[in-house]
Amino acid sequence: MANKRLGMVIDAKRCIGCHTCAMACKVENNLPDKNWWNRALTIGGEEMDTPEGVWPNTTIAHVTLACQHCENPACVKVCPVGATYKREEDGVVIQDYDKCIGCRYCMAACPYTGVRVFNWEKPKYQVEFPVGDSNVPAHQKHTVEKCTLCAHRLAQGLQPACVEVCPARARFFGDFNDPESEVSQLLLKRGHFQLLPEKETNPSVYFLS
Amino acid sequence: MSTETAVKAAPAAKPAASRGSGILLAVTGIITLAGIALWAYQLTRGLIVTDMRNLTSWGLYIGTFTFFVGLSAGGLIIASIPRVFGLAGFKSVSKIAVWSSICCTVLAVALVVVDLGHPERIWHLVAYSNFTSPLMWDIIVITVYLIVSVVYLRATMRAEKGEGSEKALKVLSVVALSCAILVHSVTAWIFGLQIGRAFWNTALMAPVFITSALVSGLALVLVITLVLQKTGYLKRDQDMVTRMAGMLGVFVIVELFLFFCELLTAGYPAAGMEFETVKAMLAGPLAPMFWTEIVSGVLAAALLIGKKTAAVPALAGAGAALALLGAFIQKYEMLVSGFQFPNLTYWSVPTGPAAWSAGALVYLPTATEAGIVLGIAALGVFILTLGLKKLALKPAE
Repeated sequence: MANKRLGMVIDAKRCIGCHTCAMACKVENNLPDKNWWNRALTIGGEEMDTPEGVWPNTTIAHVTLACQHCENPACVKVCPVGATYKREEDGVVIQDYDKCIGCRYCMAACPYTGVRVFNWEKPKYQVEFPVGDSNVPAHQKHTVEKCTLCAHRLAQGLQPACVEVCPARARFFGDFNDPESEVSQLLLKRGHFQLLPEKETNPSVYFLS
Repeated sequence: MSTETAVKAAPAAKPAASRGSGILLAVTGIITLAGIALWAYQLTRGLIVTDMRNLTSWGLYIGTFTFFVGLSAGGLIIASIPRVFGLAGFKSVSKIAVWSSICCTVLAVALVVVDLGHPERIWHLVAYSNFTSPLMWDIIVITVYLIVSVVYLRATMRAEKGEGSEKALKVLSVVALSCAILVHSVTAWIFGLQIGRAFWNTALMAPVFITSALVSGLALVLVITLVLQKTGYLKRDQDMVTRMAGMLGVFVIVELFLFFCELLTAGYPAAGMEFETVKAMLAGPLAPMFWTEIVSGVLAAALLIGKKTAAVPALAGAGAALALLGAFIQKYEMLVSGFQFPNLTYWSVPTGPAAWSAGALVYLPTATEAGIVLGIAALGVFILTLGLKKLALKPAE
């Protein structure tokens, strides 16, 4: 059987910019303070969640941004110790915390602003007990981390947490190498775009326009 | 930073050379220990004590690392080129140049180590080597380079005693020269091959790095030569100083020319991120660095090429120091300019410096970072002085 290419389709027309996916990601993966693996970016005004223009002629839209699980990832090539690697079987880009030497080359190499985060100090948390799934590897000081496409959930046959919780049902998960999958079908039916296509990384995250 | 220390501290060795160098060793030794203490503090508190953050993931350490690799490569190129091509070189200082190269390589490695989040995992580089990474290439080349430099220095010393063949030395000088060029090219490719940062992704990166290596390496050798001539370690040789200065002046002009080529190519489309970077350099957050670099370059070239100014040791020294300053700023500015403009500028929860909205510089090293780099520079002066004292680096009579 051919290898999978797992990824997401996000309907930018359905997205209401509620940040629920970002919050779900933060809780599911027990992210330390200040770390966000997934964020809703506002295409609009000067601040988050503000529109552009003067009322009544205002516009606002959102794209959510996390690791793009690129088919041609810039980060994987540059990691000197192979701590970030693409899984052969499903194309998911993974970060191995135990291997990472904390050189942060991957962060400099990745063109997608802010999807890779580094624990600049000992991870701190809002609550005193870990939250989310207990199968998530523990966060380490001085290592790089990022969206794993909820690899721990995929292993249990579940979808990524952000897809599950989206109240607008704007997020879809599936295999782009399977023409019958929901995500492949959506790309056939709808106009779509990827972020920074000129970088030739071929992200496995598409936005419906 | 290292050059300042070298220039300021070295004259202390004047009155009684050995007592002077003893004081120099003590002072730089203490500064090095202070640097190590700061590094321990950084490891304990975390890299949060630096000004590096997620969107500015490299800073002073990596910038200074590239500068020291340049110094190192330049020194060895200067020492080996005359032998490779059978030219009249700067024979009396060639061993000193190789020694300063070795010292600078050690400092470059130290800078990478203090930048790492997990220095205790450094063995992963050997155990899990990923050969598609330019950083891996650099580690391999730097290791080979360090070994070749040491072997080359030893062979030069043996040749002076009449041991070993002249032919073997010539072969070795070709190997050393190739390694020196390669080591700085690979360091350039760490940046030049990256699609993620607009201002880094240029084929000119390696030629620019090689040129700035020639500038900084020769400038350092010139500074050391002038200081050692003053202390009496070396005999006065104005002719050699003038030749060195003239050559350095030409290198500075080539460096400025390449920089101009890059800026013109980046700026001419008048749109896009490269253009924004050029604007920020001419009149924006990067302007103080940019103009210091240009002014110091032009001044250095004028002082070094002018026969009358190059004949005055203080002015030639000032020219070399300015050339070093310009080369340092160039490396540092290259690094920061890569982070100044993010690819995706839409607003979200805060992930990076608020400086973008203010149009300010995104990264400025903290006192801790500066202190650690100063400690490493002091270590450089320490081992350089130690070598001058203990090794047979004086030219053969």
